[in-house]
Amino acid sequence: MSTTDGPTLIPDDSSAQEIADREAKMRRRKGWFPGLSDKWNALPRQTQWLFLIIVVVIAYLLPILNPPLITTEPGNNWQIALAQMSVYALIAVGLNVVVGYAGLLDLGYVAFFALGSYTAAMFTSPDSPYVHIPYLWTLPLAMAVAMFFGVVLGVPTLRLRGDYLAIVTLGFGEIVRILATIIPAMKGQVGFQNVGHPPGTDSAGQTIFQNSNGTPWYWLTLTIIIVVLLAAGNLERSRVGRAWIAIREDEDAAEIMGVPTFKYKVWAFAIGASVGGLSGALFAGQVGFVNNQKFDIATSILFVAAVVMGGTGNKVGAILGGALVAYIPLRFTAIAEFKYLIFGAALVIIMIFRPGGLLPARQSLLAYGRLAYNKLRGTNGDIPASGKVVLQSGKGADK
Amino acid sequence: MTLLELKNISVHYGRIQAISDMSFSVEEGEIVSLIGANGAGKTTTMRTISGLLSPSAGSITFAGEDITRMKAHIRVVHGISQAPEGRGIFPGMTVEENLDMGSYGRKDRTKVSDDLERVFDLFPRLKERIKQLGGTMSGGEQQMLAIGRALMSNPKLLLLDEPSMGLAPQFIRQIFKIVTEINNQGTTVLLVEQNANQALARAHRAFVLETGAITHRGTGKELLANPAVKEAYLGVG
Repeated sequence: MSTTDGPTLIPDDSSAQEIADREAKMRRRKGWFPGLSDKWNALPRQTQWLFLIIVVVIAYLLPILNPPLITTEPGNNWQIALAQMSVYALIAVGLNVVVGYAGLLDLGYVAFFALGSYTAAMFTSPDSPYVHIPYLWTLPLAMAVAMFFGVVLGVPTLRLRGDYLAIVTLGFGEIVRILATIIPAMKGQVGFQNVGHPPGTDSAGQTIFQNSNGTPWYWLTLTIIIVVLLAAGNLERSRVGRAWIAIREDEDAAEIMGVPTFKYKVWAFAIGASVGGLSGALFAGQVGFVNNQKFDIATSILFVAAVVMGGTGNKVGAILGGALVAYIPLRFTAIAEFKYLIFGAALVIIMIFRPGGLLPARQSLLAYGRLAYNKLRGTNGDIPASGKVVLQSGKGADK
Repeated sequence: MTLLELKNISVHYGRIQAISDMSFSVEEGEIVSLIGANGAGKTTTMRTISGLLSPSAGSITFAGEDITRMKAHIRVVHGISQAPEGRGIFPGMTVEENLDMGSYGRKDRTKVSDDLERVFDLFPRLKERIKQLGGTMSGGEQQMLAIGRALMSNPKLLLLDEPSMGLAPQFIRQIFKIVTEINNQGTTVLLVEQNANQALARAHRAFVLETGAITHRGTGKELLANPAVKEAYLGVG
């Protein structure tokens, strides 16, 4: 009887070596920036903040800097391009909660984006016969509307598994688009012009938030992205976040660990939907015009592509993916026509060489928090004699 | 005292009946084994007890409470914990994160460290590999992790679904030794196995499952000596 074909429980030297080799191989596969996230986590908190502040400042300065080579001009206005990139980045952050954290393949995310756009348009555009409210009020309203429909769609469909969910959400995306075409109040292809914008005029008496000026819209969206990121980061580290990751990894296992999987899936869906609605309202305001043409399935797939490309489950990756998906056709206008062809090819290549996306996700999921995590990393290979050490540091983190 | 009781349980997958009219009970402090061939309904029984499947007929009582319609994640809090078939660990989480998930439903967080120590005592190997991703470990280690994770909810009843699957014989023995040890520490164990020899030798009582129904029952030793069982499951005629 052979004992070599079974897995080894207590490795001898040679098999321990084999395991070490396998681990080393895994690590190398992590990609272009080996150990980047390890290095990042090892940095002191202050240094991390300093880096982040620099990145944020540069991001805010982008419309003024108009960096050569990177800029989309002369083909497209750089500031407006930035505004669109930021909207796509926000969409990707929202969709990342659904696809990345909870692992629910939502192919109809554009529906929530559309709901947000129409909410902003129908409550602010002079073409709309309904109640008019200030534009900024439509942002929370769009979130609420999208979230409501997220729950309405989520409760029946989230009992389904993977493939079915994808099909149902795909259908939902089409339903919203078709309703916009056939319901007279939503004005089909004619659409709504002069969608509202935030108030304010500059010293010369000019409106700040003009459709032709992308800079204020970019700054507004960027600010919202930062707020959403902070919120998403907190969720990620919370019990809810750990539950989502567990659901993504193995739903049955999560359930028998005591995770109310259905409830948390609906949560992920609703939170993702609300961010989608918010980005829709911002988009409607910036473009100033909403009709039924922008909310097709291809756009929906593009959103998913943005998340997958950036790194499913990594919020920074999602921003990168979202911004890139908007940026590439604007920067390389010659290929804009073929963008789906190119994104398709790019996705295939990325999935082959970087299956985790450009910035693969690897968060620490521990309840005990960063302190314990870093402590463990510090003791590399020299595990404390008692298992207690690990949890003692966590007691402070427990409520 | 009876910890778990199944009464006339039937389970269907769509129109196909996987289990028909099954009744058995598990007493507190026992190791009970369910043995049977592929497709006999062993895993279905386990998933019905843990709540991942709901029976089409019959009732399940746990510690005197009817849990037939209770959701799986609530059953964990009540003390039923499962180490799923095929190990079912979270491959992208480290050993530590996996174990941490095991205590997810618990309210008494202060006692968790005691249980972590208990798991590390049973499986020193896990402590050595605390930072390794679950998916990169060997089959035996994943099995240890699955059992360890199930213990992290401090269950009254531990459900083990084919703990020996895919393991080399010497490690099967070791896993079963640990199962006995867990039982000695006061946890009731319900075990599902194809490896009838070990499962029967370790069990206080056992049932033989064939196409969704119990065909033999008795103490582990009785079944080991039973000629029909011997022929069908122990490879001796």
